[in-house]
Amino acid sequence: MKFHEMLQRRLLFAAAACFCTLVALPTVFAQEKGADDKKEDEKKDADKKDGDAKKKEEDKWFAVTHADLYTGTGARFRDATVLAKNGKIEKIGVEVDLPEGTTVLDAGGLVVYPGLVAYSSNGLFGAASSDFADSVNTFSPNLVMALGNGITTTGQSGAALKLKRGEIDGVLMKDKATTLLNFSAQNPQGRRSLLDKFAATSQYLRDYRAWEEKKKNDKDLKEPAKKDSDATILQILKGEILARFQSDDRDELLGIARLAQKYGFRPVIEGCREGWTIAEELGRAGAYAVVTPRDRVDKSEELVAAGGTSIENAAILRAHGVQIAIVPSGKSVDLGGIAGRDILALTVEAGFGVRGGLTNDAALEAITIVPARLLGVDHRVGSLEVGKDCDLIVCDGDIMHYETFVQQAVVDGKVVYEKNKELFYAHIRPRNDSALAPETRVDKGQEQPEKTAAAAESKDDAKKDEKKSDKPDKKEEKKD
Amino acid sequence: MFVAATCSVSTARADDDGPVAIVAAKVLVASWEGEQVIDHGVVLVRNGKIESVGARATTEIPDGVRVIDVGDRWVMPGMVDLHSHVAGPDVDLNDMVFQCNPELRASSVVVPSNRLLDRGLASGVTTVLFIPGSGTNVGGQGILLKTSPSTFEAMRVRDPGSLKIAQGDNPMRWGYGMGRGLMNHHIRDTVARGEAYAKAWTSYEKGEGSLPEKQLDLEPFRDLFAHRTQISTHTQIYRLVLSTITMLKGEFGLDVYIDHGEWAGYLAAPLAVKLGVAAIIGPREIDTPSARLPNTDGKIVSVSAEYQKRGPMQVGFNTDAPVVPQEELFLQATMGVRYGFENDAMEAVRGLTIVPAHTAGIDDRVGSLEPGKDADLVVITGDPTDPRSFVELVFVEGRVVYDVATDGRRF
Repeated sequence: MKFHEMLQRRLLFAAAACFCTLVALPTVFAQEKGADDKKEDEKKDADKKDGDAKKKEEDKWFAVTHADLYTGTGARFRDATVLAKNGKIEKIGVEVDLPEGTTVLDAGGLVVYPGLVAYSSNGLFGAASSDFADSVNTFSPNLVMALGNGITTTGQSGAALKLKRGEIDGVLMKDKATTLLNFSAQNPQGRRSLLDKFAATSQYLRDYRAWEEKKKNDKDLKEPAKKDSDATILQILKGEILARFQSDDRDELLGIARLAQKYGFRPVIEGCREGWTIAEELGRAGAYAVVTPRDRVDKSEELVAAGGTSIENAAILRAHGVQIAIVPSGKSVDLGGIAGRDILALTVEAGFGVRGGLTNDAALEAITIVPARLLGVDHRVGSLEVGKDCDLIVCDGDIMHYETFVQQAVVDGKVVYEKNKELFYAHIRPRNDSALAPETRVDKGQEQPEKTAAAAESKDDAKKDEKKSDKPDKKEEKKD
Repeated sequence: MFVAATCSVSTARADDDGPVAIVAAKVLVASWEGEQVIDHGVVLVRNGKIESVGARATTEIPDGVRVIDVGDRWVMPGMVDLHSHVAGPDVDLNDMVFQCNPELRASSVVVPSNRLLDRGLASGVTTVLFIPGSGTNVGGQGILLKTSPSTFEAMRVRDPGSLKIAQGDNPMRWGYGMGRGLMNHHIRDTVARGEAYAKAWTSYEKGEGSLPEKQLDLEPFRDLFAHRTQISTHTQIYRLVLSTITMLKGEFGLDVYIDHGEWAGYLAAPLAVKLGVAAIIGPREIDTPSARLPNTDGKIVSVSAEYQKRGPMQVGFNTDAPVVPQEELFLQATMGVRYGFENDAMEAVRGLTIVPAHTAGIDDRVGSLEPGKDADLVVITGDPTDPRSFVELVFVEGRVVYDVATDGRRF
């Protein structure tokens, strides 16, 4: 990319935040269309029909085929296809007809998962800076390594970002989904003031809603005064933004659970180390917990009740209805050499969740759909469903297994990472390309005119070989 | 094996619960050369020692032996960590008064039953080499300990467990103007004096010389030159590993192993193979595309795999606890395997058990499930290198020292 293009893109990006709010406007107008608009719509339809042939050429079709598919919704398919149109998932199924010109990624013998979502990270888009727009670098090696470990979406400084390699458009998915509240026991004054704000805002909201009702009959009724109500807390109470807390301490957690129950909002609790001791309360409050299962802290010697960390924290919380997101202890890419703790170890940390009693599926949710929900982008990523973004990873085995590597990462229906073509991991247990060669496969319902009996046999052999072990062609070459 | 005046080996404790047969889906024997795995196996334990190991179908369990059937669980030897700093108080032994301190003893600061060892035990670490820090070129004498017993005497496996030498980098903080030349000189000078001292004692013991004057700082060299203990070196980059091998093994013929194997030290592996020097890798398990030279061309490589690739050598894993927590010893092997360490013949489990035991010369007692060895057994829910597996039961010398059913999950 030329420099001036780069610059242009950067400017575009700076405008992206404003654009995000503007996007919402057409939707609003669309709902209030008058008769005149309808005429115009008809005209547009006619234009559309004319342009259809042309348009079809412009549509970009992408498909992953022959996959063992974990959609993240509970559904699992064997030999499945995910078809995407212009980056959005169009179809998921076992027998899917591919439109002409579809770019096909054959995932035979491999396992496909939704792209992972890191609830929070630093530095994936180059050096972390307070102003993301000023420092974003979508060519960063950190971004490539993150893709190589399955991450396709990440939270950073409260924003949801997509790991679009080499592109700036579409990186910012959502500006702000949560707001941090301080409910620390170390800060009783702040705590009191927060409680006061909640009381005042909740009162205001009640008054406002009552006013809205009464106004129908009495148009002159005065709108209630905002008094001490707080704009952010109003957003929380209206469910427009999630309240986020950083807390590990049992008493603090209890306080948060009670606050949430009193005012009817669902708190996001980062840390939540002693959550397991009061899991029922947190479950009742509908809390979300962002945990690092491997965390180890001894309980305070003054605490009589159970406390400190427990490897079972995530499992216990989840059993009581708390939604769990898992993050490693390190938020950035750590190249210091001590492995298994930085942001690249998302699946390792989730594995520790399983160690503590989470099911494999629950641990996978904790690094896909739950963090997507917390970042406010679960309508787009976090699971593979029709209409969602085609962000997926193709792996050589169970993603939670320590030997498994991401072979390809796909973002918005585009392959953005291929293990065997990147420097970082290509040398580790390389897969034999022939195992993936499309010509050795027969697609169901598709004719293979030049197929010979010998080719068909060799293909059967290849399939048998694959079934023999979970991790095929670890070292040996395929014989066909 | 090597029992000497300064090398005390503790005796087996009585087994309170009587003989026990542990029946499991998989028994990871991990012998040095021989049987590695038995499916549907049984381990017979009597008086704190392993009496027999075999397949369930062919092993007769004598009358009066209590059977503990752990179902689909696996049994493996207790893990051995040759680089640990957590058997003492929070402020570790890293006295930095002199540049070389062979006279310092880690044994003097051992705190039995401390919480960090307890957690390690709960993930299957039953033996550690507790060593002084790396603030000086010779940190002092380490001690080999069992992690579970509550008294120092019962914990002790061998003292001195090693002499800790730190080759470079870390000891530079000892003083101004410290460079590799000076550090190597002081190490060589200390070892040379130690050699002379050890020789003088050997001569005296043979009746050929006069009684040497006792020098506490040189005492450990009597064990070293008699091959009753080893030198564990903090040595990481190529140049350092090279001088470790050539000086300590090549020049002085001492038993030495790389005990802080990191970064590109593996470039010296061919020489290590030639001279029979083992490499225990950690705490850094991967070498990365950073500015360190000689670099790796941007590849992320497993340090253990790079050692392994360069010849048939002993490659094990350590934690440098608390740098990596004691209970995450297994994860060091996990990460090694993830980034390329060959694990087709159980090398990862071996690197956590028999390899370190053999390296430290205590494989007559620990490191594998073979008759006559200490009954240090770990019952685990599956593959020990998978973070998803967890330890349910730990025996040390025939006694249950951690049981999830009664102690709860510690890790």
